[in-house]
Amino acid sequence: MYYKFSGITQKLAGSSSSTAYAPQGLRPVVPAESSTMIFATPTKVVSEAGPVVEYLGANKVPDFQRIFQTSDNIPVHLKRGVPDRLLYRTTMALTVGGALYCLVALYIAAQPRNK
Amino acid sequence: MAHQAHAYHMVDPSPWPLTGAIAALLMTSGLAIWFHSNSTVLMTIGLILLLLTMIQWWRDIIREGTFQGHHTPPVQKGLRYGMILFITSEVFFFLGFFWAFYHSSLAPTPELGGCWPPSGVITLDPFEVPLLNTAVLLASGVTVTWAHHSIMEGERKQAIHSLTLTILLGFYFTFLQAMEYYEAPFTIADGVYGSTFFVATGFHGLHVIIGSTFLAVCLIRQIQYHFTSEHHFGFEAAAWYWHFVDVVWLFLYVSIYWWGS
Repeated sequence: MYYKFSGITQKLAGSSSSTAYAPQGLRPVVPAESSTMIFATPTKVVSEAGPVVEYLGANKVPDFQRIFQTSDNIPVHLKRGVPDRLLYRTTMALTVGGALYCLVALYIAAQPRNK
Repeated sequence: MAHQAHAYHMVDPSPWPLTGAIAALLMTSGLAIWFHSNSTVLMTIGLILLLLTMIQWWRDIIREGTFQGHHTPPVQKGLRYGMILFITSEVFFFLGFFWAFYHSSLAPTPELGGCWPPSGVITLDPFEVPLLNTAVLLASGVTVTWAHHSIMEGERKQAIHSLTLTILLGFYFTFLQAMEYYEAPFTIADGVYGSTFFVATGFHGLHVIIGSTFLAVCLIRQIQYHFTSEHHFGFEAAAWYWHFVDVVWLFLYVSIYWWGS
């Protein structure tokens, strides 16, 4: 009868002669020092990271957050200043002009063609 | 700014609902004027106004969400419900076209020859370009999921690459569909077969173009660091929409291209 140490029950259990000479529950050599850690992916610890190489430009979101979070009671669609106002006024001009033109065009289209 | 003691978004007064409504008026009236007096001026003004409204309204939503921080978790929940309801309404939109197709094809009238495809109609081979299109859309579904996981894990470069790949696959699909339309041996005027085929696949193609545009906006926003690993609902909405377009194609392929031929 041969025995081996069972890693699950933590007791000796019966086994065949070959497994008894290569026991699974006991490790033959226990390393005295822990092996060096190998990480699956390059780690990104913020404090250790050097100057980051930006892919396709730098992050400007914090700057925009500063611009758009200033409390000046300007509505969000005009907050950027001149370019916003220009675009807004163009749109509004088209809205008013277009609506008037639309009314005229529909009025003309509604007139019966005599002759 | 007054102190706000709740997490909901109090929107600024906005001109865009008004400009959008006028744009709709100009486009519909412009269509009537075009038919009536052969002038596309009014319709073009309406189209330009619609585009200006869309650009500025969505630009403001990016400002509110990304730059002002108004899209808090409860606000995001509302956006999610909104997108779900929108896609549901789109499902029913396509259901109508499938209804028309099955109504016409399951019991073909004697005028069609009592058979489907109607006698005299030469259909497209479903195992040629349409099968390739199926593969292209399924592949784009994989790449959009890759992009989502990349964003969630902060893999900026991979997210940009996979999103670009998704958009390219979308454009490839549109290109292949345009080729198919050009080569098709029937037209939209060839009875109910052509009508149901081109209306259903045409609206699907339109949705692919819209979805590609939505994803392209997401790509630009990803490049500009708008998405974080935790907060990227704009991208998720685009991905939901893209998957919806993908699923509609599978139904179109199985029903109209395969069974219908």
